[in-house]
Parts: sequence; C-alpha cells; structure tokens
Amino acid sequence: MRKSIRLLMTSCGALALAGAASADTIRIGITQNNVGIDSYQTTYERAFIEAAEANPDVEVIVLDAGGDVARQISQMQDLIQQNVDAIIIWPTDGQAVVPAVRNAHREGIPVIVTNSNIAEAGMDFIAAFSGPNNIQQGIYSAEMMCDALDGEGQIVQITGMPGYTTAIERQQGFDDRLAELCPGVTQLDIQPGDWNRERAQRTMETFLTRFDDIDGVYSGDDNMGVGALNAAIAADRAEGMVFIGATNFAVGYDAMARGEYWGSVYQSPVDDARAALQTALDVLAGEDVPKLNYFDTPKITRDNMDEFDRPVF
Amino acid sequence: MLLTRLKAGGPAIAKQGILVAFIVFMIAFSLMSDRFLSADNIMSVFRQSAIIGVMAIGVTIVVIGGNLDLSVGSMLSFATVLVVDLHDKIGPELAIPVMVMATLCLGAINGFLIGILRLNSLIVTLGMLSAIQGLVLIYSGGQNVDIVDQSGTWFAIFGRGAMFGIATPIIIFGTLALIFHIIMTTMPFGRRVHAVGGNPTASVFSGIPRSHVVFMTYLISALCVAIAAIILGSRVMGSQNNVGQGYELQVLAAVILGGTSLLGGSGSILRTVLGVLMLAFIQNGLILMGQPYYTQRLVTWAVIIVAVWLDVAAKRGRLFSPIA
Repeated sequence: MRKSIRLLMTSCGALALAGAASADTIRIGITQNNVGIDSYQTTYERAFIEAAEANPDVEVIVLDAGGDVARQISQMQDLIQQNVDAIIIWPTDGQAVVPAVRNAHREGIPVIVTNSNIAEAGMDFIAAFSGPNNIQQGIYSAEMMCDALDGEGQIVQITGMPGYTTAIERQQGFDDRLAELCPGVTQLDIQPGDWNRERAQRTMETFLTRFDDIDGVYSGDDNMGVGALNAAIAADRAEGMVFIGATNFAVGYDAMARGEYWGSVYQSPVDDARAALQTALDVLAGEDVPKLNYFDTPKITRDNMDEFDRPVF
Repeated sequence: MLLTRLKAGGPAIAKQGILVAFIVFMIAFSLMSDRFLSADNIMSVFRQSAIIGVMAIGVTIVVIGGNLDLSVGSMLSFATVLVVDLHDKIGPELAIPVMVMATLCLGAINGFLIGILRLNSLIVTLGMLSAIQGLVLIYSGGQNVDIVDQSGTWFAIFGRGAMFGIATPIIIFGTLALIFHIIMTTMPFGRRVHAVGGNPTASVFSGIPRSHVVFMTYLISALCVAIAAIILGSRVMGSQNNVGQGYELQVLAAVILGGTSLLGGSGSILRTVLGVLMLAFIQNGLILMGQPYYTQRLVTWAVIIVAVWLDVAAKRGRLFSPIA
C-alpha cells in the first residue's frame, strides 16, 4: 500500500515536471502524407514550417510518411512516445490510420487531421479536422459550369484517382449540384484521369471519338483539365468548349489567362498549412473548436484571376 | 499482322494465339461500338499506345535476356521531368541529348549491377524503381515542371506532330519496333540475347560474353525509356514527378500478353507490339462502350485471361486440355 502511494506520488511529480517543461513551449508533431510527390505537398510543408517558426511559443516535429501507411502509424506511435502536446496528421489512408489516432486520443493527445479527412469511424477520436471542403469545391465547379453554358449543354467529367476521398467528394458535390441547378446540362460520361495529365489526355481523346458534341469538360483538378484541353486542341475542337477544373494549378492559371480555360477553384497549400497549425493552437488553447474547419477555397475565373497570385505548383 | 505471323519465332501453330485473341476482341468491340474501328479511333489508340509501346520494346529485350526491368516507370518520370525542365533552361536541342545521356547512365547502373556483378534483377530494378523516384524528387524539389511556350517550340513534333498524315509517336514506335525486331531476329546480338536468356551456363561455355550482353539489354531498355520520355514530354508539355508511376506494370503486362517468357530465352518484339495494342484497345473499347470505371478493371482482367487462354489453346491445338 505504502509502496503504491509512493509510486503514485513519484508519477505525479514526474507529470508536474513534464508539465513545467512544456509550459513555455507548445510541442506539436505533424506526420504528413507524401512530401515531394507533388508541388502542393512540398509547398504545404514549407509553409507549415514557416508558420511555426514565426510563432516563438511553438516547437514542431515535422515527419513525413512517404505515402506509406505503416510508416505513418509508427510515426504516430513515436509522437505519442515523445508526449507532444498535439499531433497533426495528413492521412495516407483515411481508414488504416484510425487505430493509431485512437491510441493518441487514449493517451490524451489531441489529434488534428489536415487536408484529407479520416474515415467516419475515427471521427470520435479527433479533436478537429482542418482542410478544404471538397464537396463545396464540386458545388462551385458545377455552378461555374452552369454559368458558362447558360444552363444548356452536354458535358463530360474526368475524375481523380478512383477510391480517393477527394475525388469522390468533388464528384459528388458536382453531380448533385449540377442536377439540381442545371437540369438542362447532361453528363455524357464520367471516367477517371487518375490525377495524371497524360491519362486525362487519353481519356479525353476517347471522349472526343465517342461524342460528336461536347460543350464542357469538368476535371477533378487543373492538371487533368489541361490534359483534356490539350486533347481538344489537338483534335481542333477546343473552340467554344468550356473547361472547368478544381485546385487551380499554374498551368491552369496560364491557360485561363490565354482564354482557353473557363474557371477553377483556388486552393492554396499555404492557407491549408496555416489553417492546420492555427486549428491545433486553438484546440490547445481550450477554445471551442468545431469538428470540421474549412479554409476558404474561392472560385477563380478569367474575370477575377487578377486577385489571385499565380499558383506555385 | 501478316508480318507478325511470318516473322515471329517459335513453332508455326504457337504464333497464332495472341493474334487470334486480338482479332476476336477487335471483332467483338466493333460489334458493340460503331466508332471503334473508325480510322480516327484506330489512329488515336495507336498514338496513345506509343509511350507504353516504346518502353515495352526495351523491356521485351531485357526479359528475353532472362531478366526483369521494373525500374522503367520511375526512369520515365526521371527522363520526362529532366527533358521538360531543361527545355526551358537550355533549349530542346541540348535538353534532349543531356536527358538521353543521363537516362543511359541509369541503364548502365542497372546493367553493371545485374550484368557484371550478377545481382538479382528483380531486387536491383525494384530498388532502382524507388531510388530513381527519390532522384526525381531531389532534382525537382517536388515541383511540377512545365514548358512555358507550348506552341512556339519545335519540341512539339515528337508528341503532337505528324508526317505523311501519320502521328509522329506512331512513326517512332513503328520504326523502333521494326529495327529492334530485325536486330533480335537476324543479327548476332539478337541470337546472343536469346542464348543468354535461354541457358546462361551454356551461353558462357559457347563463348558468349554474357555480362556484356546483359549490360547492353539494360542500355537498350534505358534508351527506349528516354525516347518514350521525349514523346510523353512533348505530348503533355509538362511533367509531374510521378508521371511514370505504375507504367512498369502496364509495360510488363503487355510483354507477357505478347507471349514473351518470363523465364527468358524466347519472345518477340512484334508480339509485344500486339500485346501493347491489345491492352490499349481494351481500355479504349470499354470507354467507348460507356462502361463505368469500376467494371472496367474487372473486364480488363477477364479479357487478359481469355487472351492468355486463347494463346495457350492455340499452342495446344484445342480449347480444353489438361496437358500442354
């Protein structure tokens, strides 16, 4: 009995010490999806580190899973071992990371999910999600398509990698809103472009063979949208065809400036990174943070593109 | 196709399997979509298959030599990023040779490790797949690269141009296939590759410089990747860091579908071309028919199995046979 009391007192003391050590600086660990695989994630990491350095009270431990779920799970365990104040995770796989997130939650470490949300089963274990609203982005694209076509026409859609949450949500937002807002616009077919410009170009070439009349193309991101545009230009059918994308890329921005591309959704990795850090700080400050925190991703068209910087990716 | 039948190696009956399968599918698809056999669509599919096709030529030679090359996917990413990035920095006339040399160096590393040091090709090229992807990321810092002036560069001819009404990618693919087919069937080098792949020990005793031959097969594979990268870069006028991801499996699927033995020693470039075209036509046909994507993957698999079955059946001379 006495022994256990002493143990209790020692551990209390240790806790108090740990508490004292971390009182002045907030330690936040982040495990990212796959830095370097695309410009968005590369810019995100840079912006995240800059935002953290700008805040003298924050110390960050920046990790990258390299797209590997197993590595991300062990990084989560490492961060729990290091007893950080909060963990930010950019899930490599929304389903597979749930147990790791639950472990952190059990240890009393708040988890903030960034960019792409985790599966429904994990929602109880996270403190907050911070990222773009992909359904809303799909809705925006549908509205722009509707505007551009004046509510009348035939379109095709090129989606991202099948099975990816971002791809599914954008398509869902687009399909639902288009049907509701513009019953006069029919979708001829929906096929994937795998976030790959060359693949999207191939898909578009086949669409052009199959359909004599295509008035508009919606692509899950501008990288694929430009691939579709390339195919239409090569077939000499781009004239009068409306191209709408999402996640405005530099190539999409340039095509818009040339008048070949109608509109897109502007999503800044810098805003994404800052929002994630801010959400984590708000959670740690004990503020009443909503579960889902979306940063603003506005519509960008030829008319308002001067208000936006050319994307860095 | 007649050419394929006449020139493909092996016993007479065995030549026809993949061709039979190919014709069966072409007829089936053309019955289901009236656009399928239109000249435009056929040209479009030929043009689309050029990138995978050019890579598959090199891999076929490596596989005939008794090895594998899984590094071609990330090597394609490397070469495309390099040529597109250098295009705006030093101009296409310098960018192309620099990229080709750099890609050949990667091929030489493969060739050295597998040919000279005799390491297992699966392990070496699987490692290279990941190492080269890392190299691409270090080089580009994770940024996508794009050619800014897309309409004003002669670099466009490789992916977007045409000669005598035929798209340049098709001409490049066809020419390379013919050249390497002739090398593999009539020249001493081709016989040596077959010998080394078929029976390495015997080939050494026959005085064939095995290390040198294997080294050369990897150089050829890298050269093919470099040429594919020129087509890809010119067609897309930009590149993602991981643009070639997964291409190694498509290439390998086409090579195997073409009947090249994974054990080495036998195979044919022209049959690989048929394998490449067949996969491309399947993908194209399913979209033309309006099949939803999720069923496409299943149907593609089923079609490949039926093709392999028809191939085997043609070799055996009957559809159902417990013994080969």
